Amino acid sequence: MNDQSQTRLWLMRAAFVLLALLILFFHLLPLDTTPSRWAGPDLVLGFACAWALRRPEYVPALALALVFLLSDMLLQRPPGLWALLALVGCENLKGRGRGLRDASFPVEWLTVGVVMIVIMAANRLFLALALVDLPRWPLTLSELGMTLLFYPLIVAITHWVMRVRKTAPGELDAHGQRV
Amino acid sequence: MAKDRSQSSDYTGPLRRLLLVVLVLVLAAVFLLWRIDSPRVERFRAQITDRLVPNMEWAMVPVTGTINLLRDFQSYQRLTEQNLELRSELRQMQAWKEAALQLEQENARLLDLNNVRLDPRLTFITGVVMADSGSPFRQSVLLNVGARDGLVDGWATMDGIGLVGRISGVAKNTARVILLTDTSSHIPAIIQPSGQRAIVAGDNSAAPPVDFLESPDLVRPGDRVISSGDGGVFPAGLLIGQVAADPGGRLRVRLAADYERLEYLRVLRHHGNEKVSDTAHVITPDGPLPATDPTSPDVKP
Repeated sequence: MNDQSQTRLWLMRAAFVLLALLILFFHLLPLDTTPSRWAGPDLVLGFACAWALRRPEYVPALALALVFLLSDMLLQRPPGLWALLALVGCENLKGRGRGLRDASFPVEWLTVGVVMIVIMAANRLFLALALVDLPRWPLTLSELGMTLLFYPLIVAITHWVMRVRKTAPGELDAHGQRV
Repeated sequence: MAKDRSQSSDYTGPLRRLLLVVLVLVLAAVFLLWRIDSPRVERFRAQITDRLVPNMEWAMVPVTGTINLLRDFQSYQRLTEQNLELRSELRQMQAWKEAALQLEQENARLLDLNNVRLDPRLTFITGVVMADSGSPFRQSVLLNVGARDGLVDGWATMDGIGLVGRISGVAKNTARVILLTDTSSHIPAIIQPSGQRAIVAGDNSAAPPVDFLESPDLVRPGDRVISSGDGGVFPAGLLIGQVAADPGGRLRVRLAADYERLEYLRVLRHHGNEKVSDTAHVITPDGPLPATDPTSPDVKP
């Protein structure tokens, strides 16, 4: 039993990294090289939040940091800053995960929304403090809005397709303890 | 095993917090390092891309192809309509072709008369676009040619018709092209026929605005914009596009290159503009006086 749950734990950790790589792969496809007025959702952040709230043990801080830093590197963002803020945001969500276990979805959505807005605002603030060129507002806001709009879909995929669900009361975690 | 875990759970909390603090510090250090010494970190970034992206190419090419095929499928539905449009366009094109051939002949004759020598070192390497920047905030593409093929930062990149961007970031097998539409792209240009100098500065829109124009009154929509070669890092005379005015009255460049489908790009080899380093000498009936400076290269004895 324990061995099995250990295997599942590591499998799901690997699955998260693979999922992030897959999303990055589709980002990098040279499909549209004209500049667009709006930005699509940041799916890596969305999935990271959804997983962090449901099963924090599947998304350890190290994996999150590596995934975010890699996406910073590949997507031509200033490296480190977005990764740092997203990591802190997800860790914050992990802390709230237990409190939100019995909450309804809108509450979760709201919490995630607040965290994402804080991440976005802090990102712009730190970029401005470091005198880096800021991306224009419509792009940033549309990315934020799209990520929030897509969040229910992300949660649905997480729940039904990937079967990453909130722990039920009394369920044992991967370490064989009561959560 | 389970026992170990349960015993260790007393200090996984602090340990986890320590790991988090370390990670946050490392990420902050990466950001600060990038801010202080950007070229080094950008080189590191280019190397990471160089390692990862060519490995994904076997999957990227068919997926891109499939998606493009599906997109094209929508246009198959309007096939007859398009056919008619194309036919009428073809008729117009034939007239243009005739004009172009005559002009080409005339041009060749004039070049011959003027004894013009085109720069023989302006050769190019063609690369295939492997990936784009992956984010709507940056406009760049990744080519499958790199330092192995002798590419150097700053070289100009064109599609068949117009300028597309410049090389910025060369790794062994790949090179990144910053497109003219990117916010960090500023290309010195000259607007013909008025000869006004300006900067074409990308702003993340499809038509970059023309900045630092001395007298905008002399420039009309439809004028040609070509690179001026000012600053010496970029070859002169490459077609960028045509001037167009946006609804706000601001002058922008409608780019000549087809940004919808960037597939094959030419990278122009550029060996720097030559500088005139010699100073003037006194000229006598017997020719120029020998220079007093012994290091002067062309002293005639």
